[in-house]
Amino acid sequence: MKEVKVDPMNTTFAKVMEIFTLIGLIVMIVPAIGYFAGISQFVELKEAVKHWDEPSSKFWEEVKGIEISGYSWFLNNLTYMDCLSILGIVVLAIAPLLSIIITIPKSRGIYRILLTILAIEFIIAILRPLFMHVTGH
Amino acid sequence: MDIVTAWWFWPVVLFLFTLIIGIIAPISGVGGGVLFVPLTTAFFPFSVDFIRGTGLIMALTSALSSAPQLTKRGLANLKILAPVVVVSMVTSVIGGVVGLWVTNTFPTGKYYVTIALGVILFIIFIVMGKSKRVEFPEVEKVDSLSQKLGIEGMWFEPSLDRVVEYKTTNLPVALPAFAAVGFIAGMFGLGAGWANVPVLNLIMGAPIKVATSTSMLIITVNDAAAAWVYLANGAILPVIVVPSVIGITIGARIGAKIAVKAKPKFVRYLVMGIMLMAAILDIIKGLGGLGVIPKIL
Repeated sequence: MKEVKVDPMNTTFAKVMEIFTLIGLIVMIVPAIGYFAGISQFVELKEAVKHWDEPSSKFWEEVKGIEISGYSWFLNNLTYMDCLSILGIVVLAIAPLLSIIITIPKSRGIYRILLTILAIEFIIAILRPLFMHVTGH
Repeated sequence: MDIVTAWWFWPVVLFLFTLIIGIIAPISGVGGGVLFVPLTTAFFPFSVDFIRGTGLIMALTSALSSAPQLTKRGLANLKILAPVVVVSMVTSVIGGVVGLWVTNTFPTGKYYVTIALGVILFIIFIVMGKSKRVEFPEVEKVDSLSQKLGIEGMWFEPSLDRVVEYKTTNLPVALPAFAAVGFIAGMFGLGAGWANVPVLNLIMGAPIKVATSTSMLIITVNDAAAAWVYLANGAILPVIVVPSVIGITIGARIGAKIAVKAKPKFVRYLVMGIMLMAAILDIIKGLGGLGVIPKIL
């Protein structure tokens, strides 16, 4: 039987993604349990329920009196369980970028260039909200 | 206290709802995100911003959970992903930006987005109804771009008891299609397997198992990039995201076990019927919000 040869860049990418997915899920779910139990809430559940039918910008105006632009709304409030849970989502959303970056040294030729372009595009996608506000306010 | 107004009521209903979606998705072959966004928009009280944000995270989590295993087995291929996602990542982020800009800038924006979602769902319905799957397409001539990139792979196919090698073609034709799909996925928070798979399978000639697996891999990158748009606009709430992710994850595990034993066709037709109904309901809800027809949802 012919052996299946999987390109090392595929296996490296998969291993890194697996690790960060697990970390992301744990960091998302464990604090969320505390949040639902009423421990340290940035957005009180009763307030969330009252305004979750509003567009996101209006929701934050009504619930916290803030205008959201960027990531400081949860990064500055990591002592709250709901913001900590968002950090888990951040880990999940950054997992593909970390997989791409760690895979670059394992790739060859044109794929090294393509993966580098992908990483740059991804970083721009993350940083874009910090210099471009999109909601029209 | 009225149960419906208790804070836990909708999260519990959401958990049960996504659990059911998770079970029927693998049996029907329809992606969970495609069902979640339109149905939740039609029946749940949440803003379409939070629903789309949740839809993206759900699709992302499902793809992240399955893509690594498929990649290690040679079924999902980074050599296909890299050129495709260079284009579609940009459009998926633009889609997310446009979607949130419409709902947050115009007072009636959410209704226009809801109507557009209904129309997109009609298109998905037609694509799913018409597209055929080719188990092992024959690639007679590889285009020059795919040749330069050396797009090829192999995996062990248990049903044939042998290693299957494959090549893909028509990459220049497929790229604009992936760009359009990325935009729709980002704008509406939909998983994009419904479009990725036919493009990979029928246009590029990837075997169906490679197409479905690589589609998962593409979703991980596209949806993760678009998720940052929603995070930066506060359109992701744990009270909605967490029950949905847990529900669909548990449901998908149950569904996958059932799907191995039985994959009755009627379930696929039933789910497609539900999609059609959701499309109609979303359009009615949007038109009702705009005052074009009486508000009934």
